[in-house]
Amino acid sequence: MITFENIDVVYPNGFKGLSNVNLQINKGEFVAIVGLSGAGKSTLIRTINGLVPFTSGTLTVGDDVVDPRSKAKLRRLRSRVGMIFQSFNLVTRISVLNNVLVGRSAETPTWRSLLGWYRAEDKELAFQSLERVGIVDKAYMRASSLSGGQQQRVAIARVLAQDPEVILADEPVASLDPPTAHKVMRDLRRIQQELGITTIVNMHHLDLARSYADRIIGMRAGEVVFDGPVEEATDAIIEEVYQRSLTAEDIVASDSATQGTVTSAAAQD
Amino acid sequence: MAITSGTSSHSTASHSPATHGASTLGATPRPEAPKPSGLVYLGLGGLAVVAFIIFWITGVSGNILLIPLGFVTLWAPLYPVIGLAVMLLTLLVCFRARTNTMGAFGALAFIIMSYWAGSTVNFTLLEIPERWSNVEPRLMAFLDPNWSYIWTVRDQWLITLSMAVVATLIGCAIGLVLAMFASPVSSPNKGVSQAIKAVNSVIRSIPDVGWALLFVAFIGGTAHGLGPMAGVLALLMFNIGIVAKLLSETIDSVNPGPVEAADAAGANLTQRNRLAILPQVLPGFVSYGLYVFELNIRASAALGIVGVGGIGSAMMLQLNRFAFENVAAILIALIIVVLLVDMFSMYIRRKLL
Repeated sequence: MITFENIDVVYPNGFKGLSNVNLQINKGEFVAIVGLSGAGKSTLIRTINGLVPFTSGTLTVGDDVVDPRSKAKLRRLRSRVGMIFQSFNLVTRISVLNNVLVGRSAETPTWRSLLGWYRAEDKELAFQSLERVGIVDKAYMRASSLSGGQQQRVAIARVLAQDPEVILADEPVASLDPPTAHKVMRDLRRIQQELGITTIVNMHHLDLARSYADRIIGMRAGEVVFDGPVEEATDAIIEEVYQRSLTAEDIVASDSATQGTVTSAAAQD
Repeated sequence: MAITSGTSSHSTASHSPATHGASTLGATPRPEAPKPSGLVYLGLGGLAVVAFIIFWITGVSGNILLIPLGFVTLWAPLYPVIGLAVMLLTLLVCFRARTNTMGAFGALAFIIMSYWAGSTVNFTLLEIPERWSNVEPRLMAFLDPNWSYIWTVRDQWLITLSMAVVATLIGCAIGLVLAMFASPVSSPNKGVSQAIKAVNSVIRSIPDVGWALLFVAFIGGTAHGLGPMAGVLALLMFNIGIVAKLLSETIDSVNPGPVEAADAAGANLTQRNRLAILPQVLPGFVSYGLYVFELNIRASAALGIVGVGGIGSAMMLQLNRFAFENVAAILIALIIVVLLVDMFSMYIRRKLL
């Protein structure tokens, strides 16, 4: 369970990233955060693992109180909280397997990381993670040789290798084409349901949020302005969050419509 | 043609320029190139005249230019007048080409600086013909190298190569660690990064020959010769300085995404640097290593002058004996070795990148 109590984030340049956020995210929930760019979605997500330090309030993840000032505590917290990024953030020059093993860092002695000499059980965990996203056969390929959708799945495997309680995903499908975006979202949804991992996803595509999440949080100007189950997030409500009417850019296109037409891309995946 | 949006009309136009506007091309009035300010150019001309006067006053050359005008003969100092002519000509060309004032100022500053620097050390190409008689016999000796001599100094070559290899390997290893601490991206905090950068600057401010002199003075010769030990240490410092500087700048510009991902996975600083930064800078690192190896071969020739052994010492010995045909042989061999090392490193680089 993740609890935000009166969380404020003020950036060093004085910009207010979050103001007075109060949230409670239950274990195993799949939450989508929607909002226009600059609304504070990324800040909210990055506050949870301390990549963005909050400036006031109390934040707890599970039983631990997040303390942005203690590097050691943050590292322990981050080992339990995995993160997925819009641009995948893989080290493209090394193999897929070594990228996944980056997720084992917190459990690996530093000397092993330095030598690249991983324990057999860590490697097995990495292989299992790759198996969950269906690209175990690519383990020894260079990460740069994979397609965008495959790279994002390597990133998901890296997170799974952490054996996390929480997965944070910051615009995970924003740089993917619609069919691949749906695939990656389905992977995330399946993993959340199979392993019971709390999953918090930022997105600007409303239709993806509605089809994969249990709950939607709407943000505007650093504040939570809507919080409720998917059924309650009607177009009218979201237009209220965005403060404008919905446009074609707010949706990715339907899953079934794209799956038939873009067969070549799907076959490649 | 159907124009649905800005981008599609643009792409159509670029694909078929002929259909788009064969009749209309050239009809649109061209915007005038912005005219540089005449006033600024006038000021630059004034600057040129001021520089001319300063050159005249501080000049030491006695060469005088006489300009006979019929009724009176003007005289002026030769070199400052040439300088003024070049400066004014440059300004004229810049003005005609409508160079912006900053560019014209740069050109002028270049001429003034090079004139000033050249005149300070009395640099002139005119003296070369005057000294030709001095140069000729030595040049002749150089053009007739003693080929058989190359083989007799093979031990010295071996020392030079070994010195270069050892200094490159250890220097790169230390340089890598220093670079990791020096770049704010990979160092524990800003203070460490600033401190290491300062140390680095000190290391680089002493040239390789300077280091060699220091180490020769401190250590001197060893049982194995005049001072390969001092030579290796000198090259080592030289390499650390270069590798740490170049590599820390490469680390500065690394893709921050994987670094953030390693942080988010709970990696500590060492793990993050090893897993997310090192793979990204590895090609650069190898290429800098090959570069300093090449520099080491060349530098070891210069280091021979201060007596650290290797091929440089052999060359110095022959130079002192005025055996220019032997020096020429060594120089040619040096060129060949450097070329070979260069080709080798290019091959490795191509394989790696």
